[in-house]
Amino acid sequence: MKRPNNPLRSKERAGKGDLLFLAAVILLAAYGVVCVYSASCYNAEVQYGDALYFFKKQLIGFLLGLAAMVGISFVSYEKFRRAGLSALLVSLVLLGLVFIPGVGRSNYGATRWIGVGPVTIQPSELAKYAFVLFTAGYFAKNPARMRRFSGILPVLGAGLSICVLIMLEPNMSVTMCVGALMIGMIFLGGASWKSLAAICIPVLFAVPALILAEPYRLQRLSAFMDPWASPREEGYQLIQSLYALGNGKLFGVGLFHSRQKYRFLPFSESDFILSVIGEETGFFGVLLLFLVIGFVVWRGFRIANRCENFYGYMLVCGIMLAFAVQSALNALVVSGCIPPTGLPLPLISAGNTSLIVTMAGMGIVYGVSRHNGQAKIHRIYK
Amino acid sequence: MAITFLFCLFLGRFFYIQAIWEDDLNLRAVDQWTREIPVVAGRGKVVDRNGEVLADNRTAYSIYARANAVSDAEKSAALLAEALGVPYENIYEKLTEKGRSEVTVARRTAKEVVLSIEAHDLGGIYFAQDDARYYPHGALASQVIGFTSYDGSGTTGIERGYDSYLAGKNGEVLSETDLVGVDLEGAVAAYVPATDGLNVRLTVDYRVQALAEETMARVLASSGAKAARAIVLDPSDFSVLAMVNLPSYDLNDIPRDDIASLNALSRNSLVSDIYEPGSTFKIVTAAANIEEGLRGNSAALPLNYVFSSSRTRTVDGSAIRCWSDHKNGKHANQTLAEALNNSCNPCFVDIALALGKDTFYDYLKAFRFGQATGIDFSGESIGMLLPESTVKNGDLARIGFGQTVAVTPLQLACAAAAAVNGGYYYAPRLVREIYSADGITRFQIKPKLLGRTVSEQTSSILSSMLEGVVRDGSGKKAYLEGYRVAGKTGTAQKYEDGHIAQGKYISSFVGYFPANAPKYLALVIVDEPQGSYYGSTVAAPCAAEIFQGIIDIMKIERAEA
Repeated sequence: MKRPNNPLRSKERAGKGDLLFLAAVILLAAYGVVCVYSASCYNAEVQYGDALYFFKKQLIGFLLGLAAMVGISFVSYEKFRRAGLSALLVSLVLLGLVFIPGVGRSNYGATRWIGVGPVTIQPSELAKYAFVLFTAGYFAKNPARMRRFSGILPVLGAGLSICVLIMLEPNMSVTMCVGALMIGMIFLGGASWKSLAAICIPVLFAVPALILAEPYRLQRLSAFMDPWASPREEGYQLIQSLYALGNGKLFGVGLFHSRQKYRFLPFSESDFILSVIGEETGFFGVLLLFLVIGFVVWRGFRIANRCENFYGYMLVCGIMLAFAVQSALNALVVSGCIPPTGLPLPLISAGNTSLIVTMAGMGIVYGVSRHNGQAKIHRIYK
Repeated sequence: MAITFLFCLFLGRFFYIQAIWEDDLNLRAVDQWTREIPVVAGRGKVVDRNGEVLADNRTAYSIYARANAVSDAEKSAALLAEALGVPYENIYEKLTEKGRSEVTVARRTAKEVVLSIEAHDLGGIYFAQDDARYYPHGALASQVIGFTSYDGSGTTGIERGYDSYLAGKNGEVLSETDLVGVDLEGAVAAYVPATDGLNVRLTVDYRVQALAEETMARVLASSGAKAARAIVLDPSDFSVLAMVNLPSYDLNDIPRDDIASLNALSRNSLVSDIYEPGSTFKIVTAAANIEEGLRGNSAALPLNYVFSSSRTRTVDGSAIRCWSDHKNGKHANQTLAEALNNSCNPCFVDIALALGKDTFYDYLKAFRFGQATGIDFSGESIGMLLPESTVKNGDLARIGFGQTVAVTPLQLACAAAAAVNGGYYYAPRLVREIYSADGITRFQIKPKLLGRTVSEQTSSILSSMLEGVVRDGSGKKAYLEGYRVAGKTGTAQKYEDGHIAQGKYISSFVGYFPANAPKYLALVIVDEPQGSYYGSTVAAPCAAEIFQGIIDIMKIERAEA
């Protein structure tokens, strides 16, 4: 059982890890539960007759996520190495299941969920992490293959097939997220500039083409340019988000005192929860929130950098990239920098699949940090 | 790096929205957060010069429903239907009309009904004061007062002309609601009080108005005329004491369904319609001649000038005849005073031609023919006066005795007043002041002198001649012993489509008293009387009745003989 190259053998030898990282993640998720309650209580009361409807769901998600995070952090991340390909295949199958009538669940004109009894899950949330697992594993197996373009092709293939399936749902924003994640990981994996250019340039052309392919995207795009041109249709969502932020001013109207949550702002508890946070806590509240998110991202990449193991490095980078890109995209949507798309703010927005999976991912990162510490100690003793 | 950049980008954007753009956004957002129920301002009253109320309000309420906030539509609809006496289906439909914020269920509902509904505390039903206009004297002075539209804004008459003062400013009850209009729990409704409208005090004297209406109604019935009108004004400052247009209509029961008839009945013809005045216009011709004579214009005919007794004058080849046949010594060897007494047309042809176009037109302008009198009432007509440049001698000759010219009754009354009051032409007034509910005057409309017509001396000479007309001439039927009534009759043939309409006449009389210091002037017009049609027999007696009534009301003493 002696594997001198790998100091990580048993959890007994793992250290405390980056507790600050862990605390910040739990803090964010817990804050999310509070915000979900505030943003959804009126709507929940009107729609379900229970002001705590979304709160309870989110609380369950939080507890499950916490369990998943803690549980997964005790698992040696090396064990995920071999799971990469199967995770990818499973998630592709799940993404495909969305299109089978009776299994797929539609909402707001898009089929993004699969339902098993009362539980609905969003496969695209899983697919992101499956892609990270697969890519990290693939690159770590033979880092040299990254330098050749042909070596990147399997990663591209996996990423693009996920993208295509998600795009068919349709869900443009998650597609963009996976695309950005893919490029980010290929870059971090050490691909040559030429390869990167070969990937990025077609993407630059693909985006306008995809927008023109679906009329509703074009409408949203024009609504984003001037939301007041169609205040009751395409522009409505963005206008309501801006009203919420405007009402918040610098210091906010106070927690639980959002005016826009009274059914003016659609998706106030999920994709646009940041609008409500902006309204209730003001600019400084948003700033503070993103300082904490930024802190998590920074600590995450720090953990990646300190990881001596290339697989661990890629794994953590992938997870943190997914988290950071999605957080940024959500903020850009809410503030009207890019056209509105359905994309939750990770850890904060209502939505159990996203919450549990993100927390589990954070659990992996934390797990890596525990073993990092161990590696250092080990090195000193060596 | 890229991520740090993105973070900075959107944080900058958040700062822009929340610190710089926020005011503008909030302004828009507040609009969607609140729903308003109007608080209708109390409309100002219209009162006569002595405070008699002519237009008032009755407290009433509007009932609104906000469909999204109605909790039990069936029950509420049943209750409302019963209380309002309206079919259940109509109410139910309104209470369930989603997608609209506020629906008006009923308007102008009496207070007792509203109280009975309010007692049931129905969700989603709101009340707001919404007074109904009420006219205590019904049809009295209806064309002057005018009426309001269904939403309470002035449509005609004083109600329209002074709407900006009468209307006041509506307030509102603002309540915070959610997207679909459900009141938020614990939210306090903001109350923006309404500012009530100001009251308008007319120059009209209710008593004189009522008296004149009675008199004109009687003559309308007895003469079988199409219409009967009268103006009473105070020649000393041109404040209008009465304006009568008959037939009329009840302001509390406006025939809104018949627009054509409503338009005709609600028209203040005294201000807006024109007619050929006929002999009453001779007052102006006489005034011009006397004034020119006093000024030493040798073209003017002297006061002792004896007119040719011939019945006919030939001007530019066409013959103008007197209405009288001049047989048996009638209209022979007349002076100006006698020509007025007899209303002899040829004499006034002579005067107009003697003065000439330039001079005569100067007086027509001074007496404001072809111009607005400047009354504070909308829709004034300026009449029809041939442009000086196109007037031929034949036209000038006829204008001399009141033909080939069309005037509004108001123009004629004002011209007569300005001829006999010392020569002062004021802007006629219907409104004296605007005052608030606490009795404080906000705006006062004072007499406004527009110009001089003739000298005091001319005025006094003319007035004694017109006194003679009533004492000895065609105006005898307006004579009241001891009150020095003066005046002039008029009988004009009506024109229809450019031709004289056979058998259709306008009988008129303009008179005033006392002749030495005129205080009350009345112009009476009877349009198309059947049978007797002379101003002397149809219109002059009405003026006498009106003057007698005024004497009784004002308790005016007889002048020392």
